[in-house]
Amino acid sequence: MSREIVFRTEADMPPMPMSIGTTLTNKTGTWRYVRPVYLDRTAPCNQNCPAGEDIVAQMDLIRRKRYRQAWELLVRENPFPGVCGRVCPHPCERECNRIEVGGAVAIHLQERFLADRALQERWPLPTQSLTQDGRIAVVGAGPAGLACAYHLTLLGYRPLVFESAAEPGGMMRLIPEYRLPKRVLDAEIGALVDLGIAIRTSTRLGESLDYADLADYDAVFVAVGQSVSRSMGVPGEDAVGVIHGIDLLERLRAGQPVTVGSSVVVIGGGNTAVDAARSARRLGAEVTILYRRSRNEMPAIDEEIDEAVEEGVDIRFLTAPVEVLTTNGRARGLRCVRTVLGEPDESGRRRPLAVGGSEHDIIAETIIPALGQMADVGFMEGKLDLTRGRVACDAAARASLEGFFAGGDVATGAGNVAAAVGSGKRAALAIDRYLRGESSDDLPPVNEAVHAVHRDQDTTVVRLADLNLDYFEVEERSGEKHLAPGLRLASFREANLGFDEVSALREAERCMSCGTCNRCDTCLILCPDVAIRRLPDERGYEIDYDYCKGCGICAEECPRHAVSIQEEVQWTK
Amino acid sequence: MDKVMMGNHAVSYGVQLARAQVIAAYPITPQTQIVEMLSEMCANGDLDAKFIKVESEHSAMAATIGGSMTGARAFTATSSHGLALMHEMLHWASGARLPVVLANVNRAMGPGWSIWSEQTDSLAQRDTGWMQIYCESNQEVLDSVIQAFKIAERVLLPVMLVLDAFVLSHTSEPVSIPDQTDVDRFLPPRQAKYKLDVDDPHSFGGLVAPPHYMELRYKIQKSMEDALDITQEVDREFGDAFGRSYGLVEKYRMDAAELVLVTSSTITSTSRDVVDELRAKGKKVGLLKIRLFRPFPVEAVREALADAKKVAVIDRNISFGCGGIFASEVKSALYGSRIHPPVFGFVIGLGGRDVTPASIRKIVEHVETHDEPAEEIIWMEVKR
Repeated sequence: MSREIVFRTEADMPPMPMSIGTTLTNKTGTWRYVRPVYLDRTAPCNQNCPAGEDIVAQMDLIRRKRYRQAWELLVRENPFPGVCGRVCPHPCERECNRIEVGGAVAIHLQERFLADRALQERWPLPTQSLTQDGRIAVVGAGPAGLACAYHLTLLGYRPLVFESAAEPGGMMRLIPEYRLPKRVLDAEIGALVDLGIAIRTSTRLGESLDYADLADYDAVFVAVGQSVSRSMGVPGEDAVGVIHGIDLLERLRAGQPVTVGSSVVVIGGGNTAVDAARSARRLGAEVTILYRRSRNEMPAIDEEIDEAVEEGVDIRFLTAPVEVLTTNGRARGLRCVRTVLGEPDESGRRRPLAVGGSEHDIIAETIIPALGQMADVGFMEGKLDLTRGRVACDAAARASLEGFFAGGDVATGAGNVAAAVGSGKRAALAIDRYLRGESSDDLPPVNEAVHAVHRDQDTTVVRLADLNLDYFEVEERSGEKHLAPGLRLASFREANLGFDEVSALREAERCMSCGTCNRCDTCLILCPDVAIRRLPDERGYEIDYDYCKGCGICAEECPRHAVSIQEEVQWTK
Repeated sequence: MDKVMMGNHAVSYGVQLARAQVIAAYPITPQTQIVEMLSEMCANGDLDAKFIKVESEHSAMAATIGGSMTGARAFTATSSHGLALMHEMLHWASGARLPVVLANVNRAMGPGWSIWSEQTDSLAQRDTGWMQIYCESNQEVLDSVIQAFKIAERVLLPVMLVLDAFVLSHTSEPVSIPDQTDVDRFLPPRQAKYKLDVDDPHSFGGLVAPPHYMELRYKIQKSMEDALDITQEVDREFGDAFGRSYGLVEKYRMDAAELVLVTSSTITSTSRDVVDELRAKGKKVGLLKIRLFRPFPVEAVREALADAKKVAVIDRNISFGCGGIFASEVKSALYGSRIHPPVFGFVIGLGGRDVTPASIRKIVEHVETHDEPAEEIIWMEVKR
């Protein structure tokens, strides 16, 4: 439809060249051969979170000061944010795209900020009434067992949890007070109990609980952890004055009197070694850590190592014990050798090799081996298949025995709370599918985290090169506050004080929301066809394809790579 | 409130008082201070305007045009090469009939590279459909910015406000800053009849075929002609409101003047002193300052020069192959009238060379000692 417009004189004409009618009739969308679509992708933090948290979404809520909503989203995935915010090695921050733009976002401190606020405000966990029939036993009330029980509860079940110790918590209980105050752990476990999760303590598999008892259950989740400390395998290690790291930490936890000599040597490079060393410092000892590899290979959390050094712990790398020196059955020192690093072993770390003729003695009244832990699998043998000393299971957490599932350290050996939480959640989802007779094939492979809340996003991970850095300024990371090292040694008071609301907001602003639209309006403002509209209720935007010419400016300019360009349908013969 | 300020900051204050809503600019010496101060005003909330940083002057004018298209009061500032780079967009602004105001600090074009004062940059844009106002003092600069928006919004043509590099831009003078409430009364918010509106979308600046193009050009010329009266009217209203007005041209000591100096910009101030001095010696010398260059005030110039025996036009600019641009405009204005004094065209002070009272005296002497101009272009103080 067109009609010729004829002006009789210039006076009839508008002063400038312009269309007389509306341009809405001109559906410029017909020019398009590619179309932009909003497609959220995965941020590296979310990809790396073993507990499967949606960090990006939490950051967005914190940014808008919706702390409670942020926390509610967080605990839909992980019921232990107060624990993880303090003790997790935060792999989320390891590949944060902000590293190059002022430093990684302080994600773990955000998590702790939310958890602390929740405790302070007494926000309750989400509830779910009993809707499912299955009877489920969870063996082990560590982070994996409790996370599994929690997610099963949210799925409508009422599992029963068995715990060998007198208190639930598993290895979380052994984390010293200065890193994880008991009140935080108690509160987070208490919230689970409040939710209706029954925990039967002092009930050990193989003693007061056996397979016949478990036969009554439709599904059993085995998450007994790794509770046996590895021995050094050197002469004299049974001497008086040798106490394993986890035993020392257990005694401290139980409030039993602990005395260490004035000179203490800790052997090992993991978190237990560092925890034992820093605890011994607080008990007044001079402490040395011996580690047979270098700092690069040390599995303990970097910040923990730094703080130990600040507190005066001496670390000797490339040193290994060969004998505990004793007098009358009492330890008086260690004979050590120097090591060099050879080819990588099956753990991927370079194997330490003793240097001939490098023997030397170190004086030590107390010797604390902390060389890692193994699972106590005695009760499993002959029932459940094992692999490398751990219960073998697949991506759906299924063990070899029908109805048996396994997770946490006894299955993965991962040795951290967040991984255990993720593993327990995976088992909960798998058990639910199993009891309802559904396939678990949709669960992601074991090296990827599972999500309780569905995310409508592509699994491609957004990297720095994908972001439009013109929209971000270099801004320094806000760090946490610490007690001064001198004050720290005086007691077991919490050493890391977290950060305040101002820092939390600042860090949330620093989050670049990689791959996830956070409604910044850049596309809306820049669309030359005004073809982008805001959706109500913060649901993002929609594109009016009647007018979108497919110029791609929205996708090119999107600061966070949340818009993709797709080809229009191709004509085929 | 009175304040001592540079010419550049007089522009900034004027823009602030005019409540510009969109400012897009790219820095260039000697203009930068204008937009630097405006950006600070935007940042600290003293001016509620969108300040758009751009990557070139071409984009600066394009963004200013975009802002103006939405109905906003839009401003930019530039100088010399920046103005030259805007050239294409200058045509766009006038062709789209947008009341954009631009402050241009006159600076010589390179190469040879120069940052100093010369009018060739702005005069080279005389055919782009922009009005041009040349200012003599910092007070006139501030006042003219406010006037310029009012004129532009009535005429629907963009206005270029011109001030000399350094001699005005970086020289401090006491300036009276009008009260915001008075300025608001004088210059109410812009009411754009045609604008970009997502709720009533139209296309602007599209193809116009031969049956209509010429009419659009005719309308621009008509508006330019109307602008003479409108400029005078706005200037009078401004005088009523603030006690200062400037005219299209200004006649200084023109009673029975036989020799008339024709000047623009700051050379006017220098010439005023020389005229006073010569008048004191009994010489019949007068001064005509041309403030409005586009549209050219032909009638006002003819009226002012009706009784002149000799006219000396002083140009700090040159149209190569022709001569001083004001001189040729003055000659053109007089041609066809019955006024035919000899017009001496002096070119002086290019690239910021100082034009001193002695220079003006030499010009007067030259005119006094010649009945007719010996050359089409009389080069002053050039080493040849």
